[in-house]
Amino acid sequence: MATARKLQGGELSEAEAIERAKQGDADAFQTLYNLHKRRVYSLCLRMTANTAEAEDLTQEAFLQLFRKIGTFRGESAFSTWLHRMSVNVVLMRLRKKNLPVVPLDDPLETEEETTKKEPGAADPLLTGSVDRLRIQRAVESLPPGYRTIFVLHDVEGYEHNEIAELVGCSIGNSKSQLHKARMKLRDILKTSRAEKAKTP
Amino acid sequence: MTCKEFQEVLPDIIDGGQTVEQESHWKACRECSDLASELTLVSQQAKILRGGDEPSPRVWNSIEIALRAEGLIRQPAAAFTLVPSPAPRWRMGWLVPLTATFLLTLGVVDYYLASKPADQVAVVQPASSTKPVDDDDAQMLEAVSMKTPAMRAAYEANLQDVNAYIRDAEASARNNPADEEAQESLMEAYSQKNMVYEMAFDRSLR
Repeated sequence: MATARKLQGGELSEAEAIERAKQGDADAFQTLYNLHKRRVYSLCLRMTANTAEAEDLTQEAFLQLFRKIGTFRGESAFSTWLHRMSVNVVLMRLRKKNLPVVPLDDPLETEEETTKKEPGAADPLLTGSVDRLRIQRAVESLPPGYRTIFVLHDVEGYEHNEIAELVGCSIGNSKSQLHKARMKLRDILKTSRAEKAKTP
Repeated sequence: MTCKEFQEVLPDIIDGGQTVEQESHWKACRECSDLASELTLVSQQAKILRGGDEPSPRVWNSIEIALRAEGLIRQPAAAFTLVPSPAPRWRMGWLVPLTATFLLTLGVVDYYLASKPADQVAVVQPASSTKPVDDDDAQMLEAVSMKTPAMRAAYEANLQDVNAYIRDAEASARNNPADEEAQESLMEAYSQKNMVYEMAFDRSLR
């Protein structure tokens, strides 16, 4: 059944909004939009690293959802349905632009690649919490293919079998790309932390 | 277990559990332990990026316009009126179907009146007591009265409505000079009054 979330201030619940939206109620559409806009927009923004593009994709995702709302029967959570649709909208846009949704299969790095260090240089451990802006910028700087897998898995919580189905790769590839993305982010965050420590 | 073997299964260790052998290596090997801890931190911190941003208001505006244009937003049926009720925000998408309804209704009424003798035509009662706001309105109503007396009350009622709409739109534009929507609403209000005048004088010239 659709989630019967109650809202404050006497507003429509999600379940009520869905039923009213099926009847063409403008307020119901807006209620559903307000309930989910942040999640959808953040997903689009993380995957594209471009605010204008993310807004266009957010608009497209909601329009696709609202056009099909008459077919929603509540077998799954509404948010899940919307989220899947949003991911597909973003991936289609990336494919249209010939941007790599996920890099080609390749094995995990060797020990040499993962542990290489500058001889004699101390490598401070990445610890503590990372502020939102730093990690946001770090994710934006990832190559598109790594960014897609990282956002879907670590930010949005998709499992590897779901990612593999969405982006059209193997589960093994999804895992290896995620590992590479995390390694890259680790390096970026360590570098930015070191640079910040040097600045007076 | 070697470091290479450990790092090959590191993604599974971070996302799920670990075997006794893997746990043992984690505890024994400083390098692998540091790597595993850092990657775990990266993975966990990523969640702060979930749902934290908000799109600009234009996104909803664009969605709403598209929904109305596609007929997915269906307003409840309104009482007969030649001019829409005044509203602080007027969506341009409503103009097309409203104008079409307006013209069709006038056409039907005009056909009806033309087919009946004057003494058999019922006078349309206004929705409220009406008085023209200014001299221009009075002149227009006189022109309508001369040609089709039965329509005077309808035009008078709708002049009241459109004048109230203009007053609301002017107040909104004055209070929100930087608001483009308020400016658009005001232009549409004037356009609506102009349309009423055009229909009235077009009728009176026939």
